[in-house]
Amino acid sequence: MNPFEKIFNFQIISRLEEAGSLALTSQERSWLKTMLGHPAAAEAFSTETLRKLNSLLEPEASIEVGEIIIEKARSKERQVYHPLLRPLRRIIMQNQGIQLTYAIKHGGERIDPSGFPHKLEYNMYKREWYLQWYSTRQRSLMSTKLRNIVSANPAPIPAHRIEGLKARISRLLDGLRESACIQVIPVYNAELSRILSTFSCFDKSVAFDEATGIYRITVHYMRDDSEFLLSRIRFLGLRVKITEGEQLKQRMLKSAEMAVGRYGEE
Amino acid sequence: MAKESFDKEIQFLRMLSLAGGAYSRQQFAERLGISVHTYDKTLRNLKEMVTVLQQDLTTEQGTELSEWLRYNYYESADPLLLFLFRAKSLKETESIRLTLLLTALQSEELTAKELHDGCCDQMPADSPLPDEKTIRGDLKYLEEVGVIVRVNEKRPYRYKAANELLDQLTDDELLDLFDYVDVIANTQIPSVQGYLLRDTLKKALRIRDILPEATETHRYKYHYHSRILDEAHLYTIFGAIKQRRTIKFLYLSPKKGMNYTSQNTNPLFERESAGITDSLLPLRVVYDHQYGRWYLIGYHSRTGIKKLRMDGLTQVEEGEPVEEEEFAQRLQQLEAQLEYSWVTDTNRAVKVAVRFYNPSRSGANFIRERVEAQGQWGTITEESDTTFLYEITVNEIFEIKPWLRSFGSSCEILEPRWLRKQFMEEWKEIKSYYESL
Repeated sequence: MNPFEKIFNFQIISRLEEAGSLALTSQERSWLKTMLGHPAAAEAFSTETLRKLNSLLEPEASIEVGEIIIEKARSKERQVYHPLLRPLRRIIMQNQGIQLTYAIKHGGERIDPSGFPHKLEYNMYKREWYLQWYSTRQRSLMSTKLRNIVSANPAPIPAHRIEGLKARISRLLDGLRESACIQVIPVYNAELSRILSTFSCFDKSVAFDEATGIYRITVHYMRDDSEFLLSRIRFLGLRVKITEGEQLKQRMLKSAEMAVGRYGEE
Repeated sequence: MAKESFDKEIQFLRMLSLAGGAYSRQQFAERLGISVHTYDKTLRNLKEMVTVLQQDLTTEQGTELSEWLRYNYYESADPLLLFLFRAKSLKETESIRLTLLLTALQSEELTAKELHDGCCDQMPADSPLPDEKTIRGDLKYLEEVGVIVRVNEKRPYRYKAANELLDQLTDDELLDLFDYVDVIANTQIPSVQGYLLRDTLKKALRIRDILPEATETHRYKYHYHSRILDEAHLYTIFGAIKQRRTIKFLYLSPKKGMNYTSQNTNPLFERESAGITDSLLPLRVVYDHQYGRWYLIGYHSRTGIKKLRMDGLTQVEEGEPVEEEEFAQRLQQLEAQLEYSWVTDTNRAVKVAVRFYNPSRSGANFIRERVEAQGQWGTITEESDTTFLYEITVNEIFEIKPWLRSFGSSCEILEPRWLRKQFMEEWKEIKSYYESL
């Protein structure tokens, strides 16, 4: 199996697109056949569709490459699919409103009769699905774990309000954007590849000062990502230092003080 | 003919996605060990591909490729680096021909003769007309990669596009399939074929006039995009393992390679003398979820078990076969050694004991949840209302240490004592980074 087949060539792809034609290769079908063996498939399709797909793919070979792969340091896979993904994605796609009942942190449930869903978001680190939505009642952007949603029903929203809601969501999201500057301590430049990989799951840009040999990584993140960003910074220990981002710096100072405190004077 | 290698493009894109924006043209070329001329050429080719593939981006002519890689980070689940796998070179006339053939076969069953006639009618005026033998060759290729099928047993053969999987599905089912492929390609490995399929399905949805926004409802947070670059070598390695063969390669240590500040950089492609030509018997590949990186693990005739970063591998080729018995023995040996590896470390095992502190706020115990989810084979014992113990026997501490440290003050090392001391010292020093602020 060669992922560089000429049928995948960009000129063919673009010409096919212009012509409105499709080219479905056996590589793609084989991958699908193999991946339909994942338990998530049962939640992703109706029984009938799954049976249909399996029978259509029956003549294909499976991709056996999984046999040689060992996955390490992975979070336990709590959830790949969630039964609510199917109905929710349709509500989002159709620009409908949503009536949500969901469990809240300290016990109990809350009902929001008029929310507007935005995106379904999978957190790769926690291996869990979230619904990002706007609560017209609380006038704020919410992120709710799908496993905490008790029920979700479409609630029609007048067509003239949709654009306004979308614009509001996008304004609120813009308001959540933050950035921080993280400097690589030059004695650790030899580990640059690892350090940059640690932040490669963020939207970032890197600057290098040839005279001083200093690398600065500017990470752009959403406010609710700051906990994860901090854990990545702690992950690297002495290798990096936050140079811009007052709140993050304060948090790092506090954790370091508390960590030192854990050990006392030995 | 030598197999077309994409090593240069892979190294180029990796550096662009990891250190995007850090270097000037001159610095970038130097660090990759190539001339500025080669740098310009590679960049031009890559940009051309991006422009052809992402028509909506062409308006911003000056957009730098590194900017493009950042494009839509939060808005889209489109795999930006997938275009690497679309780099196979092809003559323009061939791409026109293959497209004409596939287009003709979308809804009709046709013979080579009929296809040849149709193709000759539709080739652009300035292109040479293909002979029937060329068309037969094309059909053979298209059949091999599975995009067309032969529909009858006897000559003359008739062909049609192999789109049954898509044609048989209702709109609703096609949407479910798109979602499944989107989720699985983004959350599981290997994913390159999944992303290619995702692209195909996206087009199929568009052809059926299903809203383009329909494919943008899901997002994936904290994703290692560059991981798909390493899948380029996966199938060569897999092939060699299946056949119990060694592989030959040129290894460019990414550790040295990324050490940009040292004077004698940089052993990346083209400066072949700086890399090491070597061979080993591949046994397994390891994917490290902490960094989204791949390792090749194999048996080296001189040094025994060897671990190499996949991103340092170039010019990978199959080598000599070995006896099944030898392979089995090496694999068994490796599996025993990897039993206690946090990632790939096969050095002596150490027992690590840690006290974790539950968060003081009420609500979800995210410390406990994280240790349970990520603590691999370690065991958890209750200690008090505010703490719990975690114990693990692990090969050396280098690989587990960052994970433990990421818990900050919620984690206290108990054993080994020397590790406890290291943590104390490190936290003191980290504190000093911020005290002066």
